[in-house]
Amino acid sequence: MRSKNLLFVFVLITTLALPLGAVAQDDGERPLIGAWDTCADPANLSGEVKIGVAFAQSEAAAIYGVPQQQAVELAIAEINESGYLGEATLVAVTEDAGSTPETAISAFTNLVAEDVSAIIGPTLSNQAMAADPVAFGTERQESGDPLIPVVGVSNTRTGMETDFAASYGDGGAYFRRISLPESKVIPGTVEQVVDILGIETVGIMYSDNDQFTASAYEVFVSALEENGVEIVATETFATGDVDFTAQLTNIIAANPDAIVVSALAAEIVPLLEQARSQLGYTGPIIGGNGFNTPGIASEDRGAGTDANGVVVGGAWNVARQNEISTAFTAKYEEEYGTPADQFAVQAYTGTWVVATAIRCADSADPAAVLEALATTADFETPLGTFSFDEDGLPEHEPVAQIIKDGQYLLLTEESAAEVFGE
Amino acid sequence: MGFVSDALASIGLNEFVITLMFVNAILAMSIYLTLYGGMFSLANAGFMAIGSYVSVILTQSHDWPFLPAILAGMVAAGLIAIPIGLPVLRLRDIYLAIATIGFVEITRIMILNLDKIIAEAYTRLHMESEPPKITNGPLGITGIPVETKLEYLVVTVIILSYFMIRMHRSRFGRALAAIRQDENVAASQGINVVYYKNAAFILGAMMAGLGGGFSGHLSRIIQPGSYGFGTAVDILAYSVLGGISSWYGPILGGLALTALPEVLRPLKEYTGLINGVVLLIFIAYLPGGLGDPALWRSVRKTVGRIINFINKGKTADAGA
Repeated sequence: MRSKNLLFVFVLITTLALPLGAVAQDDGERPLIGAWDTCADPANLSGEVKIGVAFAQSEAAAIYGVPQQQAVELAIAEINESGYLGEATLVAVTEDAGSTPETAISAFTNLVAEDVSAIIGPTLSNQAMAADPVAFGTERQESGDPLIPVVGVSNTRTGMETDFAASYGDGGAYFRRISLPESKVIPGTVEQVVDILGIETVGIMYSDNDQFTASAYEVFVSALEENGVEIVATETFATGDVDFTAQLTNIIAANPDAIVVSALAAEIVPLLEQARSQLGYTGPIIGGNGFNTPGIASEDRGAGTDANGVVVGGAWNVARQNEISTAFTAKYEEEYGTPADQFAVQAYTGTWVVATAIRCADSADPAAVLEALATTADFETPLGTFSFDEDGLPEHEPVAQIIKDGQYLLLTEESAAEVFGE
Repeated sequence: MGFVSDALASIGLNEFVITLMFVNAILAMSIYLTLYGGMFSLANAGFMAIGSYVSVILTQSHDWPFLPAILAGMVAAGLIAIPIGLPVLRLRDIYLAIATIGFVEITRIMILNLDKIIAEAYTRLHMESEPPKITNGPLGITGIPVETKLEYLVVTVIILSYFMIRMHRSRFGRALAAIRQDENVAASQGINVVYYKNAAFILGAMMAGLGGGFSGHLSRIIQPGSYGFGTAVDILAYSVLGGISSWYGPILGGLALTALPEVLRPLKEYTGLINGVVLLIFIAYLPGGLGDPALWRSVRKTVGRIINFINKGKTADAGA
């Protein structure tokens, strides 16, 4: 008799709790991010909408891949709790993409077999070049299965869009990325630097035998010209060089307001030491992506305080946050106990961009998702206002940073005055 | 066939992984020849790189069909092995290993810088035309169509296995075995040690070049960074895990070592850990490797005993 009563109570509670739970889900707190008003609540979506997530969870690139994975999970939880996809639940199908092209291909092969609506990842650009075509390349096109959009959140290699278009035709358009390639970072950075530091003349040094640095040099030149900066000296060196004093002496003799350097991390450290300690140059040094390695400013292996006054562009800085970004970083730190980095913020943004495409398409069909994805414009994200430009490249305002005692500070008139002691 | 591939895919072995397993089996066989002759050479990652780049450049820039291109990559690796092998094979043991690692690094750095070297030569020689881009430096060659098919690999492994089986009983195989046991004794018996060692080295290089050609047309991108010390050690690990006391050991090692992390994928963050533990157990308890004939003999014996036991039980039952 007693057990029957208990059973009755149990059934009663569960039947009462079920609708309560459903109501609670709909009323979940609405996150700051999301195209809540631009796109109506999806009416056709129901059940599970699957997206593939493939980041490096093992080996060398896991230091980037683990925060990416965590940020994606956090975003998906927010999306489902707030009912962003209406009746449907967003489900992540996760695979470890490892740190080599082969492991990424295997991960993508498993993901496309799961009929996902889109894939986020992989961590490294060379993995993307190898694995992304699994979702939209020749074999996929010939098989007649639907092509699947792939959204990169940390691939910064230049020209991936054009490379994919050249190899896979229309399938190449299924590749999108959140992470800014150097061709997008430099112009925005130069504009801010010129404005804040009041630069009129520069000398440029670059290694002319490396494709990364040579292409960054060209981007620098056009960005400088656009901002009315005069280039008073240009010097080149080779990757692997250790002595830059001759070139630096020539540039310093031309007395520029700043020196622009396009080099890889290995050459940057001796170059900085020679410019600062040996030749006594104290002005700003504006760097390309190679300067985005915290190691160059470290005391024991890097240039230490000789790196002070280096200005470099990035996608995001903890010191320049909008309210979406502040909300995310607080939540992330509470959830995982470590501060969010640029990779986490980009992965979080990528997940919301994909979810928004699904919401606005009101469909889980990969082609419809891509169509909505491609029209992403003026979307407010932790990275700032995000759009894809007419070439399908990502666009948001990069952040100019200045190095001081090993820290990447936001470049402002105050921080610049602090570093240069004006 | 579809049923089998679905079953394999469900345990993590999708078509790509199976193809990669056979590519690695070929690479593992390539190092078997030198190890069989007692040469501890790690050069095969370098020959793999040569085979890979030569074949990819031929298919991508010169519109060669796939099969002639990978055969050309194989021949190129063999040709480069001749001047390398002659001086280097005078070294033994760990010294040979170090020298061959040097070769792997030189190959990698040459590929990395080839375009720069050519560009430099063009300026020195005052040539007007634009220097060609051949290896595309650190970015590598991308957008390579996937031409490597599982069928080609299975056929290749079967052909190579046939040669391996024949080799053991041939004059060549016996000479290599003698050299492995004692070079001086082998020489005193009239075996041309230099000739046989170089022949094994070159044949191994050609097999590595062939494996490289297949791998280059599998992963859509080739980069110099993929052919460094790590790859050299991987190839060695295949044949050590598989064991070098039989011709099929390296094949088993290459297949198993490639498959293991994929099968363990569902373990997520524990994959690497369990993978390492499994390898440790294998090395500790099966020093002869997966392909150790003694192991298989004992397996056969045990299985035989069990079958006997069951049969006995049956006859006893029948008797009763």
